[in-house]
Amino acid sequence: MFGRYKGTFRRESGEILVEVEEDDGLLTYRRRCGGDKFERILVATMAEVIINPVEPVNLPKDITNFLMIEFPPVMIEPGASRTVYLKFPVEFGVFVESARDIEVVDIFAPTTQKYTLYGTPNRGLIARWYGSEVYAEIPEVDLYREGVMEFTITNTYREWVEVSRAVFRSVDMKIYYGDFVASTATMRVVGPNIAETDFIDAPPRPGMVKSIELYTARKISALSRGYLMEWGLS
Amino acid sequence: MFNLTAVMETPLGVAGITIGSLLFFTLILVIGVLIARIVSINVRRALSERLPANERELFTKLVYYGIVILAFLAALPQLSVDLSGLLVAGGIAGIVIGFASQSVISNLISGLFLMFERPIRIGDNINVSDVTGSVEDIRVLSTVIKTFDGIYIRIPNEKVFTSNITNYVHNVARRFAYLISIRYQDDADLAIRIAKEVIETHPFALRNPSPSVFVDNLGDDGVNLTVYIWAPARNWWEVRTDLLWKIKKALEENGIEIPFPQRTVWFPERLEVEQRPAVEEK
Repeated sequence: MFGRYKGTFRRESGEILVEVEEDDGLLTYRRRCGGDKFERILVATMAEVIINPVEPVNLPKDITNFLMIEFPPVMIEPGASRTVYLKFPVEFGVFVESARDIEVVDIFAPTTQKYTLYGTPNRGLIARWYGSEVYAEIPEVDLYREGVMEFTITNTYREWVEVSRAVFRSVDMKIYYGDFVASTATMRVVGPNIAETDFIDAPPRPGMVKSIELYTARKISALSRGYLMEWGLS
Repeated sequence: MFNLTAVMETPLGVAGITIGSLLFFTLILVIGVLIARIVSINVRRALSERLPANERELFTKLVYYGIVILAFLAALPQLSVDLSGLLVAGGIAGIVIGFASQSVISNLISGLFLMFERPIRIGDNINVSDVTGSVEDIRVLSTVIKTFDGIYIRIPNEKVFTSNITNYVHNVARRFAYLISIRYQDDADLAIRIAKEVIETHPFALRNPSPSVFVDNLGDDGVNLTVYIWAPARNWWEVRTDLLWKIKKALEENGIEIPFPQRTVWFPERLEVEQRPAVEEK
């Protein structure tokens, strides 16, 4: 289903249907996902429709730019570095692209969403929450529901540190797709309760296609990169 | 033949002002306003990603009025106004105006403090001076609030600054509560579990701080449960309005009902029910 489409097309997978049809001379984008439906008339001559996974922080509506992945506690010895794999939720972004511009038409997902508070109510932030196990190898995932995050934790602190959550700034997120949806992230522990997280612009496997990011399509300029987790790591 | 120079030099009869000087005065002012507008638009655009709307609007206004005032001062000599004389007169006038416009100055200073202390921002839902609504604008002298009924209310900044301000969205998350009664014969543990399951399904009922459901007290008519839910401060109302009915329906689907008010009456003497003869059939 992910990819670029010209003119009319129809793609269906399980409970998801995405199509562009010509109705009474009007090009119409139509989507069904579970019980949810969406429709837009496209006035375009040479438009391309692009469907790809996007930063999973937009549903049911856009209230934050942060993603928190919670996982079983991991103890890391001082100076150690290890790459593990986590799962993250997948959201579909549908874009229309012309020679001059690209715009978001629709965002949807077959999964439910949950949000959480990271930090205190007065100084913390709201983040999209997702629970994952910790995998040593790339786990099996449902392509349209979950992605795989290659996650490298490095403990630069002088003591053992326990980590059970990672908070990311979604505007930094680089997503790739192929046989599965993937992203590559890092966490550098700098204190008992402080760590820096960031994304790397490289797929975990070669040959994967890079997704168009929402913040790029929306022309939002990112002023800073990475996120400093200062409200605890577990 | 039309003589432009003669027309321009035609005196208006007021303090030696000619048509030409009046035109120049107007021209300088218009150019000043145009420059102010162009500069302020560009300042707003340049700061759109860097400053919050509140500070951005304040800075833009300062730039705009600063340029307009400069243009006005630059244009004044065209009307034969001596600025050095103005300074002396301005000093005396300043004292007089200062006394006369105490409340204006007070509002101005309060406005500046409000902008620096930032207890409220444009778009915040607040309660101040018994007015509840969202902040539309924080001006130099007043704050404009749009109530949830869509009513425009202007509050002088002095009043805003000296009043208790409740900002409902200052923190990123807030808690709200439901009180739910169930009958005494219903299983309170089951009711708590069902309520938690329903809350879990709502995306914006925050996972952390986790919701809390417990038996709060034993009431006259039933067992009273209290439900505490944390939600993003800007979305708490939609969570509140969405969840209560869902919890009620889920409880009823599991045979747990909301009790009606009831009273048990005890009589010291045994009551006897008098058997009345049936009404004769006509």
